[in-house]
Amino acid sequence: MVGIGMIPWRPWWSAILVVASLVGLPLAGRGQVYEGRTLVQASLVADVAGIVPGKSFTAGLLLRMAPHWHTYWKFSGDAGLPSEIKWTLPPGWKAGEIQWPVPLRLKDPGDIETYGYENEVLLMQEITPPATFAESSVKLSAEATWLVCERLCIPGSAKLQLELPVSTQTVPANEELFARSRRLLPQTWPETKVASASWERSGSELLLTVKSAALANYPVVDFFPVPQGNVVVGHPRTERGADGKITFRVPVETEDQKLSSLDGIVVFGQDAEGSSRNAWSLATTKVSASSSTGPKGLIRFLLFGFLGGFILNLMPCVLPVISLKIFGFIQHAGQSRGRILRSGLAFVAGIFAWFIGLALLLIVLKSLGREITWAFQFTNPYFVVFMSAVVLVFALNLFGVFEISLPQSANRGLLGWTAREGDAGSFFQGVFATVLATPCTAPFLGTALGFAFTQSGWTIFVMFVAIAAGMGSPYLLLSAQPAWLRLLPKPGAWMERVKQLMGFFLLATLLFLLWVLGAERGVEAIIWTSCFLLALSVACWMKGVFLVPTASAMSRGVSIVLMLVLVIGSALYFIGDKFNAAKAASSDPQPHGDWLPFTPERLQAELEQGRPVFVDFTAAWCLTCKFNEATVLESSAVRDAFQRRGIVKFKADWTNADPAITKILKQFGRPGVPMYVLYPAGKNAEPILFPELLTQSIILDKLETVTPHVAAE
Amino acid sequence: MKTKLLLCALTCLVSTALFAADSPAVGSVAPDFSVSDAKGNTQSVSQYKGKYVVLEWFNPECPFVKKHYGSGNMQKLQEEFTGKGVVWLSIDSSATGKEGNLTPEEAKAKMTEWKTHSTALLLDPDGKAGRTYGAKNTPHMFIINPEGKIIYEGAIDSKASPNPDDIAGSTNYVKVALDEALAGKKVSNPSTRPYGCSVKYK
Repeated sequence: MVGIGMIPWRPWWSAILVVASLVGLPLAGRGQVYEGRTLVQASLVADVAGIVPGKSFTAGLLLRMAPHWHTYWKFSGDAGLPSEIKWTLPPGWKAGEIQWPVPLRLKDPGDIETYGYENEVLLMQEITPPATFAESSVKLSAEATWLVCERLCIPGSAKLQLELPVSTQTVPANEELFARSRRLLPQTWPETKVASASWERSGSELLLTVKSAALANYPVVDFFPVPQGNVVVGHPRTERGADGKITFRVPVETEDQKLSSLDGIVVFGQDAEGSSRNAWSLATTKVSASSSTGPKGLIRFLLFGFLGGFILNLMPCVLPVISLKIFGFIQHAGQSRGRILRSGLAFVAGIFAWFIGLALLLIVLKSLGREITWAFQFTNPYFVVFMSAVVLVFALNLFGVFEISLPQSANRGLLGWTAREGDAGSFFQGVFATVLATPCTAPFLGTALGFAFTQSGWTIFVMFVAIAAGMGSPYLLLSAQPAWLRLLPKPGAWMERVKQLMGFFLLATLLFLLWVLGAERGVEAIIWTSCFLLALSVACWMKGVFLVPTASAMSRGVSIVLMLVLVIGSALYFIGDKFNAAKAASSDPQPHGDWLPFTPERLQAELEQGRPVFVDFTAAWCLTCKFNEATVLESSAVRDAFQRRGIVKFKADWTNADPAITKILKQFGRPGVPMYVLYPAGKNAEPILFPELLTQSIILDKLETVTPHVAAE
Repeated sequence: MKTKLLLCALTCLVSTALFAADSPAVGSVAPDFSVSDAKGNTQSVSQYKGKYVVLEWFNPECPFVKKHYGSGNMQKLQEEFTGKGVVWLSIDSSATGKEGNLTPEEAKAKMTEWKTHSTALLLDPDGKAGRTYGAKNTPHMFIINPEGKIIYEGAIDSKASPNPDDIAGSTNYVKVALDEALAGKKVSNPSTRPYGCSVKYK
């Protein structure tokens, strides 16, 4: 064993202790020596020069560490061990709890964070002597154990003594040392009007929301948890909101669904390590805890889901389909009320079907313990090929290449509901509109889903129903209020032209999907997909020309066989074979302009150099991302602002669902892209998360408040 | 018919279109790695599918590791369970130049010196295996069942200290979990807070 265990205590030491105590000096006590170096000096000190019977005083274990070595706080974090003190007191004496000064948050490679002290720490305890005792001087002994680490960890322990004379009045001692240490003790939580705190369980995270105008002024605000028993928590993150609202997100890694709050301290100060820091201690009994199943939180998130679903209608990727539907309404304008309502209901049912299907899928996957992210289906090239095919078929239908005429029997079979011609069409339009909507994480939806993805299956289900309701509400309203439809123009020959025009919108969507494929799999993939799409078009044309009610059964049969051969054959050949062989696009794409390709290591390297970093989490298939990039991030105002402040810009490309990026998205509680994060310069500075829809002023204002010191240079 | 087919195709395609990265939480699929051991053989989790696998993060310089090896506690555990067909992989993720980093020769010497009974001592200086599992401590323990799912993650035992005298009075979580699993029972305490030194990553 290399580690140093106990150092035998030498009797002469106590004599020196007494003398030193009398002159009021903190002592160099027992030394922990490792390979010739003294790592820790341990001693006991008191804040009085003599003991007054019945009067409490404070004694403390003073640990002085060699430079860069540290001992641990009462919760040591990801590694380490808290220091311990065991007093051996005469009968009738009492020792209080250890009062732990605010520790430092120490970071090590491998995402390891610990809480500890460097240089010096005084662990204080209140000692209460009995009201009377006979001795003229008292010898108090304690055994202290600690773990001291730099890169190496060495356990240390010492048997220490504190000898104090008995006195009639309190004479302070070691005033400066105790004052310095007491300044760093967490205070009791202030009154609610100064700072209110509430806990909320959100799936695998505990959210502590603190509302305090006083805290808002401090550049560094942190939460240090003190989890009980076997509770394992991740690293808390600080999110600052408006009106002095601060949210601390604490990932819970234990499988404890009931855990609804944590003890801990809220630390605030001008920097992350100075003696100017202060803290409020938070005991669970003092805060209002509300669990995720609490109806208030759930209703709020359901409202977000509904709003988000509604906003999905306005997203660029859904708009083509929406125009399709509006066109459908125009067509139905002359028809009966009941008919319009039916069509509207079918469309909304399609929306619900998709979201409920997706919810069930997520619940199944979640139960399998898989990691799920929003728009995950678009990270799979085969899904994109499938979507391209669907879009093309719809476009050809709009161009009039073929008509969709479903046999009555099939309609009856569908979900067991007897539908007239057109209802099934509406239903699938509903499904289709929703499939296209998923990659556009609208701002509210992001919050709502971030919540839902960490929730129980039931909550996910309700959440998705809320989103579906939000998205379907305008159609339901329009079909229930046909009066509004009458405001729309009368059907006529122009409808055919509009229909064809809509076809081109769908072709534009197809271009976008092919571009996504190109980003994922390269040019070859686009070509092979196009070949397949060509064969599919021919099949559609055959349907339009030969599969007509007037054709003989024989020619219909031949057509169907030929069509199937064409579609399945080309799918197998081009997609199964050629496309499959197409190489994935380079995982490390050339940076665009002054954007650097992101890796967690590169980010770490830049941060260690003390440079501020902005990361754009994006994907080729994410239109919201492209929109933000074009209108905000690539605007000259924002570009200049970044440049002036020397901010390093990274692009994290999630097109192919890079697991390293997935992990970071999860860390920020986001189910998908877009995500924008600014890591301010300086050790321990909290990353700042931007909303999903950016504006220039959001970015510029934030830069102004976060990096003024760089701007001044 | 066609409508039905379309509905079918949609559901099927979406289900195959799932992308999912593995997360090493208890109950989830154990992620794989491929790392050389002290004898130069390549070791992975997947090659032991069908068996129980114990992963033990190891650092010969760490006082918490020494607590369990110096007392013979770890070796006893390794001997007992490898004897019952369990695969025991000790993994040293200390980076080159950091405490506890071992060359293959040093690793072999350490295994002999400490009379280890693990299946292999894996050398992972670039932290590949360690970061995949989010291993933070030495010792940090994982148990994987024959179906490849993590059934235990956390500490070796219930007393977080570097003092070997504490072993006697502590509950060995890994032994309890393995005994339960081998008896066909559900692991009663599948997640505990690991304790020890930090893993000395690059």
